[in-house]
Amino acid sequence: MPGNANVLQFKQITKYFPGVKALDNISFRAKAGEVLAFLGENGAGKSTLLKILNGDYRPTGGEYLINGEQRKFRNPKEAIDAGVSVIYQERQVLMNLSVAENIFSGRLPSKMLGFVDKAALYEQTRSIIQEFNLDIDPFALVKDLSIAYQQMVEIMKAYSREQLSIIAFDEPTASLCESEIESLFGIIRKLRDEGKIIIYVTHRMKEIQSIADKVAIFKDGMYVGTVIPGEVSEKEMINMMIGRDLGDIFNELERNEEIGDTVLSVEQLTTDYVKDISFSLRKGEILGFSGLVGAGRTEIVRGLIGADVMKGGQVLLEGRRIRCRSPKEAMEQGIVLVPEDRKTQGILPNLDVGGNISVATLKKYALFGDLVNSEKESEVVEKGIRDFKVKTPSRYKKILELSGGNQQKTIIARWMSTDPAILILDEPTKGIDIGAKAEFYKMICDFAKKGISVILISSELPEIIGLSDRIIVLKSGKIAGEVLREDASEEVLLSLAMLDT
Amino acid sequence: MRELLGNFKIPGDKIVLTLALVLIFVFFSMLNINFISTTNIINILLAASLTGLVAIGMTYLIIGGHIDLSAGAIVAFSGVLAGILSTNFAMPFPLVLVIILLTGAGVGVFNTIMVTKIELNPFIATLVTQSIFRGFAYILNDGRAIPIRDSAFTGFGTTRWWGIPIPVILLVALFIIFGVVLAKTTFGRNVYVVGGNKEAARLAGLNPNRIALKNYVITGVLCALGGVILAARMGSGQPAASMGLEFDAITAVILGGVSFAGGVGSMFGTVLGVLILQSFNTGLIMVNVPTFWQFVARGVLLLLALSFDFIRKKAREKKVLEDSMKKV
Repeated sequence: MPGNANVLQFKQITKYFPGVKALDNISFRAKAGEVLAFLGENGAGKSTLLKILNGDYRPTGGEYLINGEQRKFRNPKEAIDAGVSVIYQERQVLMNLSVAENIFSGRLPSKMLGFVDKAALYEQTRSIIQEFNLDIDPFALVKDLSIAYQQMVEIMKAYSREQLSIIAFDEPTASLCESEIESLFGIIRKLRDEGKIIIYVTHRMKEIQSIADKVAIFKDGMYVGTVIPGEVSEKEMINMMIGRDLGDIFNELERNEEIGDTVLSVEQLTTDYVKDISFSLRKGEILGFSGLVGAGRTEIVRGLIGADVMKGGQVLLEGRRIRCRSPKEAMEQGIVLVPEDRKTQGILPNLDVGGNISVATLKKYALFGDLVNSEKESEVVEKGIRDFKVKTPSRYKKILELSGGNQQKTIIARWMSTDPAILILDEPTKGIDIGAKAEFYKMICDFAKKGISVILISSELPEIIGLSDRIIVLKSGKIAGEVLREDASEEVLLSLAMLDT
Repeated sequence: MRELLGNFKIPGDKIVLTLALVLIFVFFSMLNINFISTTNIINILLAASLTGLVAIGMTYLIIGGHIDLSAGAIVAFSGVLAGILSTNFAMPFPLVLVIILLTGAGVGVFNTIMVTKIELNPFIATLVTQSIFRGFAYILNDGRAIPIRDSAFTGFGTTRWWGIPIPVILLVALFIIFGVVLAKTTFGRNVYVVGGNKEAARLAGLNPNRIALKNYVITGVLCALGGVILAARMGSGQPAASMGLEFDAITAVILGGVSFAGGVGSMFGTVLGVLILQSFNTGLIMVNVPTFWQFVARGVLLLLALSFDFIRKKAREKKVLEDSMKKV
């Protein structure tokens, strides 16, 4: 019965994929009027379960019931029609349509003869936007919005459906700032009080404390149990999901204590997206770039490596003036970028793990000018897999079949094989589970100890505070301030990132 | 050479195509024993030489995420221009050949500029080229064919070495050279990389525009060579020649397993695709299938091949899944 489902029940759900048992005999229930968080490492099965719930996957075994009635959605549309919406990590918005058209796609209000009733569309959209407490023009094109707003559009789209009874969020805050998160939580609480069943998938403990009424914990495709956040400590929850304690992870890191002289100085860098950016970077230093999504962090480094056209300013590498017109030229100067969006900018989807690692260096050790040197290639690939602990049965495995963390390690192996002097990491641990994050943190500190200078861009404040020697905070394409490690706190960074000075 | 070809074996996914080729030969030989005669096989190869040359370039382009619809027009234009240079300007054949090949390279550069500098979709850009150069093919000699009298020129299409026509020898040589380049050089490898994800390739330090340039120049030069060969074989440069040749080449390339989405395929597959397509065509003619039905038959052949690929892919995915269920 759409609109007022009050129990969702999973019974012995099992799901196999090539090479993995993704879900193993999952049984539990979710009730209306409470927010049930799914907690677990990546690959624990949370997303797979959501995809079964919305008809994207069919379970290999088991069943799910809504209000005691067994359902078998064959595709997301059937699920949506039955009142089940899932908001995914990857945005599913239509970039070239307006906000209003996205929210009401498939059910645009119409006038006589089927013409779209623009006035009604505008009004309906505006009232939803108001409920969300956002400042968006209903007829703005989605592609012109920030990533955070694009995601909001998607949530509003699900929210606008009358029959909505179950709504699941798959890590919805990955690219939202604090105020956006707060307004999202407001909406979630409102939905909860309206009697919807809310599922909330996340990695972030802090969010669990503030939004979840109950927490279902997953580990390796199995359901471990459900706990109430107030009754169980964070530590215990982490222990349930990974079986070890990561509380002091940043304190345990061995940091580079011998930071050298300035290697890179950027003076008044200007591109189409940022203006007059100046900063310097020292040998073996980890320099953090903090700020809200869209503040210009990524755009600065893109200008630096020549992925975007540099319109003004200059870059000095060890006192020498350089000008990188393409990522290729930057690489030749020893400056490399591990990009933000692994799926569209990092991995080479049609290649295997080996090809993904060797692509950056293949030319360097080619024989007779251009012939692939297979022996040397194997050496580089094997070393990369070994050094960065890429978990793969062989170098011939398609990269798409690896987990997100291992894909990221592969990309890092690619860039480290070029022997860079400056390594830029843009959101290196996005969508990666806590266990693997710890590995990445250690890895980043090791790079610094080897004398590599690191620029770290991250939206996760604990991460940037825990790793950086110095943090540059950006706001609206400009540098809002610079904070030393010892002065850094979440409050300081946030006030620089958000307040007008 | 041994190192390059020593470990050559038919890749697993090409076994079916190889069998299909054998089957076509068995089938048509049963209907007409002349099908398997040396003369006929050489005829098949000779007929395949033009499509084959274009298909080589098309393999690079499609794997690299592009396409060229101007191939047929370039062949016709090159043939007419070659005829004019040879007959009206009395240029020696080697000079004609060099000029024509450079012209082909120039067309490749032109295509690249449209695709990379003014960012036209490759379909549209090469459609522009197709129209312009088909037009010039007619304009050059006022719509008439231009006869070629230089025996060195015509000999290029008709002379046989060891009983094999030069175009066939050239085709085999070029298939091997470009096959090795695609599989064994960093340039070839990067064609796959760029075709798989252009932005990731650029951020990985490659230059997608330069790779596109090389691919279009290769294709342009091969089309120009094809135009010279065709003119030599026919004894004249004909402005209306090779209409729709690009689609024959694309059909052969896709038949051979190159993914239209880019990033996947091999030169060996293209060789098989060209041979299957051409022997099938010749077979249909030899057993007197009416011309119009030949088109239908070719469409059905392509559909069968692609459906078979799809079924095999699904079966393989299912097997992998079942294996993993047993294991865990």
